Amino acid sequence: MDGELEGRAADEAFELLRREGEAADSWRLYHLMSDAMQGQRQLVSPRFVEHVAARLATEPAVLAAGALPGRTPFQRLALAAAASLAAVALVGWLAFAPQPQPQPPVARAQPPALTVSLPDAANDYLLAHQGFSPRVSLQGMAPYVRTVAEHPDESAK
Amino acid sequence: MSAWCSAALLCVLAGTAHAQSDALGWLRKIQDATRNLSYSGTFVYQHGGRSETSRITRLASADTERLEVLDGMPRELVRTRDTVRCYLPESRVVKVERRTPDRNFPALLPGELNTLLTNYDISLGGRRRIGGFECQGVVLAPKDNLRYGYRLYADTASGMLVRATTVDAAGNPIEQFTFTQLAIGRVTPEMVKPRHAATGWRVEDAATAPARLAGWSVNAELPGFHKVVELTRRMGESKPVGQLVFSDGLAAVSVFIEPLAPHREPPRTGLASLGAIHIYTREVANHMVTVVGEAPAASVQRIANAVQYRRP
Repeated sequence: MDGELEGRAADEAFELLRREGEAADSWRLYHLMSDAMQGQRQLVSPRFVEHVAARLATEPAVLAAGALPGRTPFQRLALAAAASLAAVALVGWLAFAPQPQPQPPVARAQPPALTVSLPDAANDYLLAHQGFSPRVSLQGMAPYVRTVAEHPDESAK
Repeated sequence: MSAWCSAALLCVLAGTAHAQSDALGWLRKIQDATRNLSYSGTFVYQHGGRSETSRITRLASADTERLEVLDGMPRELVRTRDTVRCYLPESRVVKVERRTPDRNFPALLPGELNTLLTNYDISLGGRRRIGGFECQGVVLAPKDNLRYGYRLYADTASGMLVRATTVDAAGNPIEQFTFTQLAIGRVTPEMVKPRHAATGWRVEDAATAPARLAGWSVNAELPGFHKVVELTRRMGESKPVGQLVFSDGLAAVSVFIEPLAPHREPPRTGLASLGAIHIYTREVANHMVTVVGEAPAASVQRIANAVQYRRP
């Protein structure tokens, strides 16, 4: 991933990410997958942990609190939070543990492609391709019109 | 009760099968007309808010067809039994593609129409008047989102395809070909001759030759698409280029593989489009891979991402 894009292509990619759309979501998802697969850092966002802890704090049942004498409420809370973190970690680990690939790699969700202008040799590719399109047998050469005007500005003259 | 249900179901199935064979019959009729009739007409090609007018003339007895783009940059193409020549008067270039006896252009053969049913639901559409022609509709609805759908309208009298619309998954038209004028018969050899003598023009011969592209493969074919051709060719004035073509019987996707010159800037990875055609470019093992196909962007990108090189 690093160093794959340069110059303008990289700028366009950053712009897409900045817009916080699908690209940004894909970016986060891929990083989460990557982290999970490489076993790096925490598997879930720090905020997720906070949410769980906060939710636990409001839970009336600090589970078998009475059976744990001598612990301050803070200690009990910490223990419960630690337990649920462990549970979250376990679920996370299970969810992200390497699993048999369900499909060939190519079938994975693809990040959206960057849009670029037509290649300079687009007409050569189109001409070379058109001869193999079975559509020709339904409409003759008509599909061959799918070429690009080489000088779009001048073509109107 | 169950007997009634079965009978009703049978009727529905028989009806569906009947409609399908009717629709296939119309496709066959379109194919026959395209091949066997001599005709001359003007058609409009529309895509993305643009439209372009062209003239097409076919002389069936000589198996020769001439296409002239009337708007924008002048271009003329003449196809005979064994060559396609593209004349570009502004740059004084003629590009030549030859058919060799051992390699037929993978046209859809009449017997192969049935194979389209694997990937498309084919049914009869409504009747409609287009450009003065009474037309019968034929609908090809894709069975998955890897290919486009087609709405075809054929002249009920001659079987000629008067309108062809390519539609996306949501049913929105992406590109459309419509004859605005069409005359059957009365075509003379003079009418299919190239307008340009092309004397002194640069000739760019594709010099296609069947080949095995050693080391190159597409590691996961797109469902329903099969490799129909593997060859080497020249393109413009470039070094030999490898070309692989995959087709589902109606749509085709070409993969072009060409070595990158050491001093050249690497290609920009990304997707470009023109009507129903998508072009995806990426670099693989110091080669530029360009995938061109009349298929949804995701399909073209999937094929491009599956191209790999292993040292043979």
